[in-house]
Amino acid sequence: MKYLIAMFGSAEEMGTSKTPEWIGEMIQFMIALDGRLRESGEMVYNEGLADPSQAKVVRLQNGQPVATDGPYAEAKESVIGFWIVDVASEERAIELCGEIAVWSGAVELRPVPAGPPAEFL
Amino acid sequence: MTDGRAVVDLLRELAPQVVGLLARRYGDWANAEDATQEALLAAAAQWGNEGIPDHPRSWLVTVGSRRLIDTVRSETARRQREDTVAALEVDAAVSTADDSLTLLYLCCHPALSQQSQLALTLRAVGGLTTAEIARAFLVPESTMAQRISRAKQQIRSAGLRFEMPPKAELGERLAVVLQVLYLVFNEGYTPGSRSVAQGADLTDEAIRMTRMLRSSLPADGEVAGLLALMLLTDARRAARELDDGMLVPLAEQDRSLWNRAFIDEGVRLLAATLGAGPVGPYQLQAAIAALHDEAERADDTDWPQILALYTVLEHVSPGPVVTLNRAVAVAMVDGPLAGLAVLGTIATDPALARSHRFDVVRGHLLELAGERDAAIEAFGAALRGPASAAEQRYLALKVARLSAGHT
Repeated sequence: MKYLIAMFGSAEEMGTSKTPEWIGEMIQFMIALDGRLRESGEMVYNEGLADPSQAKVVRLQNGQPVATDGPYAEAKESVIGFWIVDVASEERAIELCGEIAVWSGAVELRPVPAGPPAEFL
Repeated sequence: MTDGRAVVDLLRELAPQVVGLLARRYGDWANAEDATQEALLAAAAQWGNEGIPDHPRSWLVTVGSRRLIDTVRSETARRQREDTVAALEVDAAVSTADDSLTLLYLCCHPALSQQSQLALTLRAVGGLTTAEIARAFLVPESTMAQRISRAKQQIRSAGLRFEMPPKAELGERLAVVLQVLYLVFNEGYTPGSRSVAQGADLTDEAIRMTRMLRSSLPADGEVAGLLALMLLTDARRAARELDDGMLVPLAEQDRSLWNRAFIDEGVRLLAATLGAGPVGPYQLQAAIAALHDEAERADDTDWPQILALYTVLEHVSPGPVVTLNRAVAVAMVDGPLAGLAVLGTIATDPALARSHRFDVVRGHLLELAGERDAAIEAFGAALRGPASAAEQRYLALKVARLSAGHT
């Protein structure tokens, strides 16, 4: 089963509120987690994202795309990185989210729908 | 079993020669490239088990020719074009070095998008498989296959042929080739973004292809300069990232981890090149890298000489990024406040507005000047820019250390 794991937080806020030691340990955890997921074959894809102040929202106005800043420019926390994992169960996905949550803000877990089981087709 | 690495190295070396031979023999570049790719895959499967044949290039040309004729036959069966194309004379006087060069010019044609140039160059000139290129760029194989086939369509619709560019255009065209090779290098060198263990290493491939280009154009100063720049930069690879993924800035790197052989080769190349002809931006950047590499300790760095080179570079190839780097050199020679004054001249440059580099440099210079709060603010501003995940972590750590009162 595939899941999107989205990690919330703010790198800038972390710099001012955490100790260098904490950040060093967080970095070690993140690198080790990516390594473990790659080794176990559960990693599909992962990326860190640029700061939310770089985010744009694009809507059509009179049929033309118009980009505006936002929507997170003022928000304290937003998505700063994500994983797509392919795991055996939801329990495993929640376990991973729990590990990540130790080092970040909220973690959002979303199933990637896999389509109906073969017997219904 | 033959050593798998030896097979891969040989195939990558022979790939552009086979494409060139088939393209000249059959006059159809795009099909020649596809046929070569199939021959490479067949060879990789067979040679690993049965050993490398006595005449590996002939083996590849024979297998590639068969594939190519099959393709042409099925495409144009009723016109029986294979009889015509097979009769085309092959100019035996054309060397393999010329073929590789022609191929580079074609893959790096300015009519192609940059994405196409990179993908085509790695496949046709570098001899990488589509799967390897896909892994190196972290995209699905089907995406990379589509990118390559679109690149070939661009070549076809622009009416480009497998031939050397006209003499009058050579300078401009070579500049694009060098830029593409440097992009491949940087794509591989960007810290924290690539998994080296996953197969093709773009940094190694860029160096290999630039060596090949240099054997075609041994007298060109900028080709030598680019090769030297790559070697002198890549020499520091093992030292710039810790095992836990933390970036290590140049001044704090363990210099015993630097690659001595690369440094020596880069310095030798530069010594033979500088002064022999007009000096270009790659030679200058390589000379700057050499000064860093030759310093035994960070404190030994010859900053006045680096500043002099940046000043020349700014004349030869002006731009805000060069000025940004010159500001650092000014700070090291004349103090951080002088460096910050140079930064002030490019603070509103639109080319830097979307980059976080300006604020990273500003933060470092403010930190040097003892302006702790201002440095924290600058690194914070850099964190709001498009920094990579590895850089974000480095900058957050920087902010935390400054906030905690130690550096």
